[in-house]
Formats: sequence, structure tokens, C-alpha cells
Amino acid sequence: MGGLGGPPKLPDARRRPGQAGAPLDFPPPPPALLEIRDLHVSYGRIRALQGVSLTVPQAGIVALIGANGAGKSTLLRAVSGVVRARQGSVSLLGEDLVGLPIHQIARRRVIHVPEGRGMLARMTVLENLRLGGLAARGRREAAADLERVFALFPMLYARRRQLAGSLSGGEQQMLAIGRAMMARPRLLMLDEPSLGLAPLLVREIFRIIPQLANEGTAILLVEQNARMALQCAAHAYVLQTGLVVLSGAAADLLAAPEVQRAYLGAG
Amino acid sequence: MPDPAFFVFLVVDGALAGAVYALVALAFVVVYKASRMINFAVGEWTMLGSRMAATAGQILGTGLGGALGAACVAMIGLALLFNRVVLRPLFRPSLLSLIMVTIGVGIFMRGAATVVFAGLPVRIASPFPADPLVVGGLPLAVDKIAAAAIAAAAIALLTWFFHGSRTGLALRAVASDQQVAMAIGIDLHRHFALTWGLVGVLSVLAGTLWSVASGGGFGIELLGLKVFPIVILGGLDSLPGTIIAAFVVGVLESLVTGYLDPLVGGGFSHVASYVVLIATLLVRPYGFLGRPDVERV
Repeated sequence: MGGLGGPPKLPDARRRPGQAGAPLDFPPPPPALLEIRDLHVSYGRIRALQGVSLTVPQAGIVALIGANGAGKSTLLRAVSGVVRARQGSVSLLGEDLVGLPIHQIARRRVIHVPEGRGMLARMTVLENLRLGGLAARGRREAAADLERVFALFPMLYARRRQLAGSLSGGEQQMLAIGRAMMARPRLLMLDEPSLGLAPLLVREIFRIIPQLANEGTAILLVEQNARMALQCAAHAYVLQTGLVVLSGAAADLLAAPEVQRAYLGAG
Repeated sequence: MPDPAFFVFLVVDGALAGAVYALVALAFVVVYKASRMINFAVGEWTMLGSRMAATAGQILGTGLGGALGAACVAMIGLALLFNRVVLRPLFRPSLLSLIMVTIGVGIFMRGAATVVFAGLPVRIASPFPADPLVVGGLPLAVDKIAAAAIAAAAIALLTWFFHGSRTGLALRAVASDQQVAMAIGIDLHRHFALTWGLVGVLSVLAGTLWSVASGGGFGIELLGLKVFPIVILGGLDSLPGTIIAAFVVGVLESLVTGYLDPLVGGGFSHVASYVVLIATLLVRPYGFLGRPDVERV
């Protein structure tokens, strides 16, 4: 109850327990955007995830690496509601997403770009993009977002009247990312965005992903190309047979001998 | 002896019928597009739509407009009920079970209609003058012209809805790939309900127009049989293909009625569209504008 003349006091929440009384010169870390706790997913008898915990902060890139069949794609599918978790929780800013229908999760602007990209092949590029923004909000913002996407991917503008199914693999990947951007995602989950692309396009994709992150989108990136993923991510998790075996700052993982041996092809 | 005026008359008369066929066919196509469901009861839905309109006109004593509005409300309610109570519990059913459901519901509708509408008029009074309009020496029924014009306007509106509106865009996404539609935030059940609401409106409109144009709506359930060659020729999920096919079948029937039926003793016009259907399918198995299911793997 400091009077008018008293010293300014910070609310208790802004004090660290160890520094009782001393005002902080920086605020505490914001709550995580996505908090996965002890997630179990099974396909019939096959246990794809066996108790995975993972955190995605409100901004920046989190990479998820691991061998084929480690459960990386399953994790993304569990978050977006395509597969149902058997146990555990997936909370988005404190709200549990487990059990919500797929479209409800998308409406919370958690956008999943699956491997294979999920294009509406018989609709045009423009229609695909417009549909991406449909769930998010009104017309005016959608028009501005469309311009942003076309600025980032001029190729999409040139081909806007073509059917999405007629695009090449790399172009479809750009369309998939562009369509996801139209939803103004809070969390963008990219599953193997570089898969099957020519090296030049892979570099293009990995130029754009950090750019999106810098604009404030949190990104959960699943990649086989561990080196490129670790180079652009802040944090990373290594998944092996449905379990997190390593996690930490991406730069540390990039230097860790076991990661180099298993995922980066170093002796 | 060939009479050009008679030929023109047959073509025009057939085209006018084709516009109404197209509207019925579109009621089929919107359902097929949204859920890959083959609605064998489309004729019965149309019949029910026209009986509702006739009954509403009789009971309410309002004009045709009021009767149509009341019938639309009733049919939308029925269609939504059908979707919620019959179809939704069958979520992701097999194609065959859906077909059986529509056949069963069609039979039920036919049976129930004779009981429920017993003693009520079938005819919808035409608001148009009975005297034919003579254009260039051709006597054309005003009813038919008006019905075709209204049908054409409804088709134009529907086409705009599917290609110009946000909801139509979402419906086409559902038609194109349900998984992807969900992943971009589209509520499938809401859009299935919307589709059936659309079927309710189309069945009232098409049923009434058919009833007015054919002078009484005799054999309206059989409209379903006319619609199948049209939707298959059109390619099942193509709106423009369906509209073209509807005009082709309408004109074909009219020409066969005028030229062949007198020779073979009548009735061949009902079969003619099926003959053309078989011939077309031999050459283009996916219809005029349907697309073969070929995808990049």
C-alpha cells in the first residue's frame, strides 16, 4: 500500500524468489505457447509416442529431429488433432487441445503443414490461399495477408490461376507455407518441408522459415535434414522410438558428439 | 417432310424443360460434391418439395410466394433432420450403405406422402396466363418459359454462390478433400448441414417449377430417372457439365418425342437419354466435364 510519495513497487509476480525485494531489470520469461506433457499415442498395438514432453515458447523455432519412425510426424498429428492422444496433455496457453476436433484446433491458429503438403489439388492456387485465411478472420486482413504471401513467394502470384495439383513439388511446398501464413498462425508446425526438394529450393525454404519466425510466428519444425534444422532453430529435441532422448539449445545439440554421429553424418 | 419450324419448336421446348432438369440435377450434384453421396431419392425430394408447396398454398391461402416460403422452411427442416438423424450417425459410412439409405428414404417418402398428403391437391396453380405466347409462329407455353427463366436465374445464383462466396469456397474445399478442409478450420458437419439445407430449397423450387411447367406434376418421382443420365453425362461433380447435360437431355427427349415416337409407337423418349448415356460412357467414362481420378503420386 505504498503512498503517493513512497518508492515504486513492482507487483510480486515480477520478483524472482531468489532475489526477494530487489526489483528486476527484465521481466520473467513469458508462459510457453505450447506445453506438451507426457504424451502417449498408439496406432493399434504400435506405440508411436511413449511419454513425450516438449515446450514451444511464444516465438522462435523449435526443431524436432530424429530418424524415420521416431514419432516426429505423430507428435505434430497429435497436436493438430489428426490422431488422438491416449494419455498426456497438449496445452496451448493453458488450454488443453486433446480431444478437440481438428477444425477447432485450426481455428485456434495452430496450423499444421503435413508432409505431402495437403493441397486442394483441384482448386486454384488463389483459392487455396483464400481458404487458408478463411477460418482466421475478415476480408480486409485476408487481402493484406494475400499481398504478404505474394511478396514472399512471387511465383505463387504468377501461378495464382493454376490448379494447385499442377504445381511442382517445390511450388506446392511454397503454397503450403503460404496457405498456412494466411491463417496468421500462432503456432506453425512444418513436417519435413525440405523433403524431396532440389537443393536450391531447400535453401529457399530455409531462408523463409527464419523470416517467418522473426515476424513473430512460433514454429515447430520437423526435419530429417538435421543440420539445417539445428542451424535455424533456437531449441531442439531429439526423438528416438517415441521418446525424447536429448534436448537443449540447438547450437549445443549441433556440437554434441552423439548428435553428430547419429544425425549429422560425422564420424 | 421436314418442317424447320417444327424442329425449332422441339428444340426450344426441350431447352425449356432442360432448364428445370438442370435445377433438379444440381440438387443431386451439390450433395455428391460435398459428401460423395449418390442420392437416389432426388426425385422423391423434388416430389415432396412440390407437394409441400401445393399443400402450403391450400392451407395458408397465401399467394404462390408465401406458399413457396413456407414449403422451403418445411423442406429445409426435413433435410436438416435427415442429415442429423440419419446421415450423421453414419459418419464415414461405405458408399453402398449411403446408396441403400437414400433408396430406403426415397421409398419411405413416396409411401408417407400418399398418407400425409391424402386428399390434398397435387396441382400448384400457375400464376401465368394459360394462352401460349406465339413467337415467330411458334406457340410456346408461358408457364414453361417462366419456369425455365426462374430455373436459369437460380442456377446462375448457385454458380455464383459456389465460386464467388466464402461459404461456397469452403463447400468446394469440403468437396475436394475433407481431411484438408478440416485442417484449415472448416467444420464439416456445419457444411454438410448447409448442403442439405440447399437441397431443401432446391427441391421446393425445382418441384414447383416442374409441376407448373408440366401442368400438374404428374410422375414427378420419375424425375429422378431423368436426372441420372444428366448427372452422369455431366460428370457427377461438375456444375457446368451438369447444366450442359441437362440441356442436351431436354432437347434430345423433345426431338425424339417429335420425330421418333410417332414412328415407334411412343415412349422411346424416356429411353433415349439412356442410349446416349451408354454411348457417351464408352467414349468418355467420366462424362462431359468430369475429371478422371488421376493424381500425381
